[in-house]
Amino acid sequence: MNAPLKALNEMQRLTSPFPESVAVKEWKASGGQVIGWFNPYVPEEIIHAAGMLPFEVTGDNEPVQMQAAEAYIYSNSCSKIRTCWQLQLDGKYGFLDGLVSSSMCDQDKRLYSLFEYYNKLPYMDMVYAPRKRDEEAVQLYLSDLQDFRDRFSLYQWHRFSDAKIAKSIEVYNRGRELMHELYELRKRDRPPVTGAEALEVSKAAVRMPRERFNELMEQLLAEIQSTGREIKKAKRLLVIGSDLHNANQMAALESLDAVVVVDEMDIGIRRAWGQVDTQLPPMEALARYYVLGRPVDKHNWVSDGRLEFIGELVEQYKVDGVVSQDVRFCTYNGWDKFDVKKQMQERGIPLLQIDLEYGHPAGAQMKIRVEAFLEMLQSAA
Amino acid sequence: MSAPQKITGPTGPSTSNLITAEELLGPLKQAAEGVKKKPGLMKSTVGYMELIKKYVERIVTAKDEGKWVATHGTQQPLEIYEAMGVRGLFIEFWGVISDVVKLESVPEALNISASTGTPGEVCSFFRNMDGLMHAGKWPRTDFLLYATSSCDNVKAYHTLGRRYGIPSFGMERPYLPYTPKALEHWKNEHKRLIAFLEEKTGKKLDYDRLKETVRLSYRLTELTLEIDKLMAHVPCPMSAECFGGVLVAIRLLPGTQDAVDYLTALRDELQERIDNGIGAVKDERFRVLWSCFTPFWDPTLMGFMQQKYGAVSVGEVLANWRGEAKWLLDPDDPLGNLAYRTQLAPGNCQYASSQDWASNVVDQARRLKADGAIFNNNWGCKQASGLGRLVGDELIHHCKVPSVTLNVDVIDSTFVSRAEIESQLDSFFEMLEGSKAYQERRAMA
Repeated sequence: MNAPLKALNEMQRLTSPFPESVAVKEWKASGGQVIGWFNPYVPEEIIHAAGMLPFEVTGDNEPVQMQAAEAYIYSNSCSKIRTCWQLQLDGKYGFLDGLVSSSMCDQDKRLYSLFEYYNKLPYMDMVYAPRKRDEEAVQLYLSDLQDFRDRFSLYQWHRFSDAKIAKSIEVYNRGRELMHELYELRKRDRPPVTGAEALEVSKAAVRMPRERFNELMEQLLAEIQSTGREIKKAKRLLVIGSDLHNANQMAALESLDAVVVVDEMDIGIRRAWGQVDTQLPPMEALARYYVLGRPVDKHNWVSDGRLEFIGELVEQYKVDGVVSQDVRFCTYNGWDKFDVKKQMQERGIPLLQIDLEYGHPAGAQMKIRVEAFLEMLQSAA
Repeated sequence: MSAPQKITGPTGPSTSNLITAEELLGPLKQAAEGVKKKPGLMKSTVGYMELIKKYVERIVTAKDEGKWVATHGTQQPLEIYEAMGVRGLFIEFWGVISDVVKLESVPEALNISASTGTPGEVCSFFRNMDGLMHAGKWPRTDFLLYATSSCDNVKAYHTLGRRYGIPSFGMERPYLPYTPKALEHWKNEHKRLIAFLEEKTGKKLDYDRLKETVRLSYRLTELTLEIDKLMAHVPCPMSAECFGGVLVAIRLLPGTQDAVDYLTALRDELQERIDNGIGAVKDERFRVLWSCFTPFWDPTLMGFMQQKYGAVSVGEVLANWRGEAKWLLDPDDPLGNLAYRTQLAPGNCQYASSQDWASNVVDQARRLKADGAIFNNNWGCKQASGLGRLVGDELIHHCKVPSVTLNVDVIDSTFVSRAEIESQLDSFFEMLEGSKAYQERRAMA
């Protein structure tokens, strides 16, 4: 039995209770403002450079009853969006001073509009999320980021300098580097952390001051080094699909004889991927990184790169099987399903596709399916 | 298009009801003839049916006439297609016209789509295309063309294009469209589209021809606005059988003389009916605004509403031009004009904020003197599912116009029973009639 990781415990302490946590309360108590953001096309670095705390608006480990939210967002929409709006209706996001989103997904846009209409925050903004990955897309996104920076400066009555953005880029690059290191360690035959633990780490990154997070990441990696921690499970899984913030769901997979060694989520490996180029002007560097520097994601029109990336992860992490956890009503995942299945079949990689509701605990049915999947992996070995 | 996979057999889904472009033509020809003899219909019904028939015919005969066919989404510069000999096939229209001719086709295509693993929660316009392509029943298509500006489902164009070997091109539309940088970017996307089409067709765009198609398209906009003003008349002169005509003209055939001729005739007939005191029904009791889209899944519902409740459809958000729609800024800059038009065009509020959509609907409700609004919450539409409440609240706040939400699938007639819809409409119109706002409005009419 591995001992709990002290640094992870501290991350969880600081980011609890969710969402108005110890870290948020401390930040606000010191006079700081908190800016919520929805999706991965909002560069946290710009919010950080403005001296504010970027905070990802999500659900967490507890399922949320969404009846009130469904009066605003009908039940044929993504349950992550409904969860977030329900949390807002319940007053859980009352600490936000602002909100920034991107046009990455129809449902994110609608959630943003609900905030704007029913609960307008002092600062609200929206940037474009390019669907293509080419130079034109970079320039379009850069132009939107510059407008965002201008409006954000107006909000503050203070234009934060390029030097400040460059400094924030360094801080976030360091965070990515440390998180990437953790992902590298998970390639070991016996990874040092479970998938559920790694997910908690990723969530902490977007819920607390990044400098403090980086310090704790350094401690975490040192702790892993000194304790020789190992997770001994028979099967290695890759989780792909929707962003899931309920670590209990991941833990349910791992309650069987399997460990999640890597994921393909925006909340996960994409946040630990690559570096913003510090040799370029900072705004341009951010635009290039956010459009081209991360692995292709499900919202990109051309999914070939995403499929390739999944295939590469399978090889690099010596994965036995892939679990695709798709939150229902996600259009992007919906259109990728056929090709994900085809690609996995062609590569001879077992795939389990699970449709689920965001935030809900793993039910008996899901456990049965995962058990059957693991048995199938066992017999195929 | 690559050869479809074989799906028939003892375990595969049925394909016997799928309708092809060629099979659509026969019934459309019959319908065009039939309405000539049917009493009580607006005269323009004939022109409307002729226009639809011609649209399908253009697709069927394209190859023989040396033309190309592009299956496309919303907000496309069809004037460019027209100038380059490329015939558009609007994906949404295909599901709608299939329902008009043979209701069984769409559900069967959706079953086939499901059999490939596509979830039933994505838009059925696209699932219909998926199923028909899989069965080899989608019309011959040379390219798939699309833009960011409709919805997340446009990802399917590239996905299905790759699967079936059809080249595709997508245009990235900025989210905030009217900044100089955004307009410039969007205009450049039009240039990239032209480059794509020139490469694929081996034919250069004739800019003089483009100027002409843009001129025709602008005339269409002017006619639409004239018709819109006539629709505000009480009683409304437009009857259900012609209601879809404007949408067909402006979203399927901009840049064509046929569409201009049709809307000219429709406008003249509406004016004539107003002059003669003729309304859609003898006793107009309710003026209805469709605040999401019209009942494509059930082509008879609007006519039924007229007959049963005296409820006349006066407007729908997807055919609503914003303001005066003066998009012909510089006749010598057809691309600049088009870039502006495709930003401004009806239906573009789908891609904007919910408030933008709501402001369009409120504007229509005021102009068209609506009594109530019907919001069709399309099962597969994630744009709609997040804005029905907000649109309804805005309508009440600004115009005291109540809404009802119908949970439907945009083209799948089997998704919800007609009886259930009728029951909801019974309650809605009963409530409407008893409301103070309605009674005040009627007293002033």
